[in-house]
Amino acid sequence: MRAVTEISNNHEFSMRIRKVLQGTLMPFIAILIALAIGAVILIAANFNPLQAYQAMYLGAFADFSSFTEVLLDATPLICIGVGLAVAFRCGIWNIGGEGQFYAGAVTGTAIALYAPALPGWILLPLVLVGGAAGGALWAMLAGYLKTRFGANEVVTTVMLNYVAIIATSYLVSGPMIEPRGTYPQTAQIPDGARLPLIMPPTRLNLGFIIALLLAVGLYLLIFKSSTGYAIRAVGINPEAAHYAGIQVKKNILLAMAISGGAAGLGGAMQIAGVTYRLFQQISPGFGFTAIAVSLLVNNNPLGIILAGILFGGLSTGARLMQMNAGVPAVLVNVIQGLVILSVVAFGAYRILTMEREE
Amino acid sequence: MKLFNRLVFVTMIFSIFVAACASAPAATTAAQPTAKPFKVGLLVSGPVKDQGWNQTAYDAFVTIQKELGAKFSYLELGQDQAAYQKAFRDYGSQGYNMVLGHGNEFQDSAVAVAKDFPNTYFFISSSRYNGPKEGHPNVIGLNTDSSQPYYLFGVIAAMMGKSAGIVGGMNIPPISETYTGFINGVRSVNPNFPVTTTYIGNFTDITAAKEAAQSMVSQGVDVILPNADNAGNGVYQLLTENTKLIGFGTYRPPAQKDDFSICPKTCVANYVLDYGSALIDLAKQIQAGTFKPTGNIEYGVKDKTVMYITYNENAATPVPANVRQAVDNAISAISSGKVNTLAGNPLTKN
Amino acid sequence: MDVAVILAFVSGILAATWRMATPLIYASVGEVFAERSGVINLGLEGIMLVGAFNAYTAAFYSGSLWLGLLAALFTGVLLGLLFAFFTVTIKANQIVVGTAFNLAGSGISGFLFESIFLKSNYSSLGIPTFNDLSFPFLTKIPYLGDILFHYNILVYITVLLVPLASFVLYKTAFGLAVRSVGAHPKAADTMGISVSRMRYICVVIGSVLTALGGATLTLAFANQFVEDMTSGRGFIALAAVVFGGWTPWGATAASLLFGVFYALQLRVQAMNSVLLPYQFLQVLPYVATVLALISVRHRAGSPKALGVPYRS
Repeated sequence: MRAVTEISNNHEFSMRIRKVLQGTLMPFIAILIALAIGAVILIAANFNPLQAYQAMYLGAFADFSSFTEVLLDATPLICIGVGLAVAFRCGIWNIGGEGQFYAGAVTGTAIALYAPALPGWILLPLVLVGGAAGGALWAMLAGYLKTRFGANEVVTTVMLNYVAIIATSYLVSGPMIEPRGTYPQTAQIPDGARLPLIMPPTRLNLGFIIALLLAVGLYLLIFKSSTGYAIRAVGINPEAAHYAGIQVKKNILLAMAISGGAAGLGGAMQIAGVTYRLFQQISPGFGFTAIAVSLLVNNNPLGIILAGILFGGLSTGARLMQMNAGVPAVLVNVIQGLVILSVVAFGAYRILTMEREE
Repeated sequence: MKLFNRLVFVTMIFSIFVAACASAPAATTAAQPTAKPFKVGLLVSGPVKDQGWNQTAYDAFVTIQKELGAKFSYLELGQDQAAYQKAFRDYGSQGYNMVLGHGNEFQDSAVAVAKDFPNTYFFISSSRYNGPKEGHPNVIGLNTDSSQPYYLFGVIAAMMGKSAGIVGGMNIPPISETYTGFINGVRSVNPNFPVTTTYIGNFTDITAAKEAAQSMVSQGVDVILPNADNAGNGVYQLLTENTKLIGFGTYRPPAQKDDFSICPKTCVANYVLDYGSALIDLAKQIQAGTFKPTGNIEYGVKDKTVMYITYNENAATPVPANVRQAVDNAISAISSGKVNTLAGNPLTKN
Repeated sequence: MDVAVILAFVSGILAATWRMATPLIYASVGEVFAERSGVINLGLEGIMLVGAFNAYTAAFYSGSLWLGLLAALFTGVLLGLLFAFFTVTIKANQIVVGTAFNLAGSGISGFLFESIFLKSNYSSLGIPTFNDLSFPFLTKIPYLGDILFHYNILVYITVLLVPLASFVLYKTAFGLAVRSVGAHPKAADTMGISVSRMRYICVVIGSVLTALGGATLTLAFANQFVEDMTSGRGFIALAAVVFGGWTPWGATAASLLFGVFYALQLRVQAMNSVLLPYQFLQVLPYVATVLALISVRHRAGSPKALGVPYRS
């Protein structure tokens, strides 16, 4: 897809129009194809696909309050996704968004619960910054292992996911367990540590706005700053970047820190804005879905906002589909997978046809 | 790249539009008013037909649907606690009479929305939440004290075996309480009887559960039982392969029959938990308008239709009469409150 | 502790090690081929799940374990071709496609399991499984019999699989071609080797072995399918490939190492004398993998063209 932007400047107007049309239609068709294949699966399993999809649509968009739930679901996906985009742009396959989300959730909760009584305007930012720092440190551990020992980040981040999840399980059933000590979860965080609701009575909170700002900020960082240029240069060709005087290791660590920081912020905001306490399975796999969200739009933070909302909408909708049409909600995983495959197929097709036209 | 973003955005608008068109006619059919039906809803955090925990509730609700003519719908929400509140709110705003959050993880969310829907009863499984006392009279914690039947298993284990082991899913109260109950039961017979316990850390890894059981057996364990939902099947598989062992079954009617088919030779006794009959009973009371909650509800072996033990007469070694007598004695001791099966559980300081 | 107790402890762990490692060995040895040819398949977890599910479904309805195995094999071929189509033919980003495979694989196996098996009232969802082979005398040897002669056929196949894979990769023209398209696709291309064809073949090999690894879970270890029953094994296998330095023996060793730690943690947990919270033991295999990875540095490094689609 990078090829598309690079050559687009030199093309005639009519080509542009054609591309816009192609580009507009194709992701759209891609989503339709995914839904169509999903429909075939539904029919094969004896469900009425129209009924199922309608229920799914209503679950996400029936009214404004449903849509706020979509945005709520999209928030962690956007946070982790934009972070991953930075790492992926740097050529680092950070599969550890899940673990970094947990790390942020744990540090955020710890600050919210154990910091001395502070006014909200100090405590809340502290929780969020602390969450980001927790995620960043967790990610930098993998970055350090890579730059110092050459340890492959795919392996270390996958392993660190498990470590973070198991550590959380230990913390909430041991040291951080709620005072009445019954269930493996922490106490609720104080009001001062909670993100304000922006549209009561819906649960939509400031976290979504922060996620949007984060996406815009990281977009500017990646594409409009010299730091972003260096990170991308390392991602495109580390050796060339090295000869161009860019500090490869420093940029890898930086990219991992940003990546983990964003995921960690997402984790802290999940606590501060949605659950108000930490428990064992605070994430239903946001970190893994976010990989898809980021890659779907070629690691562009602004695109991730939309992709995150799309995926959030699919999972929110799937829950109502299950409720009203009796279709197992896991179908949504299939559709999300198919959306990705169709989009990449069309993206690749577009590049191929353009290469031919050159 | 900007181009691509715009495209994605347009696509989304398109798809929303198309979906809106597709859904428009159906919205009218859905809104057809009928004579205010009795509506019951179920929230679970895993597959509803898991042949285990979730299915207990699901089957009960299907029965409620059939017997009471209720409208029933359910929702599998996974572990995404963030979605629970919306689910409760959806049920509440659609005028459901009875909604069960099937697991303690639903408690916070139910409490958060309960005030807005005073005509809906929110029940929470595995919860000791006392709604009426906490100012939410329509949130009722329901708990089945499974430490009691496991206490009885402990009595049998200590009288019939040499060493016992439990393979658990995760360290959550419904599991750890059964550990405590079992150990207390064992100790009541023989304080020196060895009991080993393991958690595999999830409820899906059937292979790991079997491996954990196998490692216990090779360390001399001859009485073994799982408490790991789906993954527990791995333990039963070992119990079928190795007929020298003694095991116990857990049965949740009506989906499952109390027939020992899962390990016909080695499972000597079943713990039957008919949680469904309790739920059906609650639904009947609510429909009739006679349900007057005073606090949380705690089921135990004293509720003989909800929780009881059956024996496998075709087992390789059926439970001898003196052991059955000991079990009966234990049941009366527990029912009368003389024995606290949860004594010493670090997670349940009452 | 006296010697007998220690021996029993060690032999118990070693016996469990090979069992726990078997699905990982299948998947990681297969993935070695894919990665050596330049394609990283992040979708192992999804493929393994679908393999496990299809093997189970075929065995459940046919009553034959061998048909179950065959079903897994076909699943592997099909998913491999699909993966190769996306990553080789239309040159889509391999990590993207792998992620999609994981999502779709977990979704489709779970969806079909719920819709086919759980909605119908089968009295039992269990299937018979491959029995342990019994060897005259050998099985009875104390300790050693447990460690070496107490497994089912699918475990023993790994004994043949690994040397075979190593032989193919290092001693045959095919293996040379695989390694060359992974390291220097351009050079391989000019020498007349079809990069696409080699990558197709290798991705399919990887996918087939991964699906078979999934099948070991349902046909040999557990006797039924459970949603998401692979519990992360696909990711561990992926890690084993890297950790094993992209060689069949290395990947196998890494799988066994993981198996050892997993077996060890289950064992130690069951010992009453150890009063650690169980999470400390659970985390052992993962921490050990990271520590081992940094203590054994690979000189060879990854295949040079790994993850890069080839454009001629």
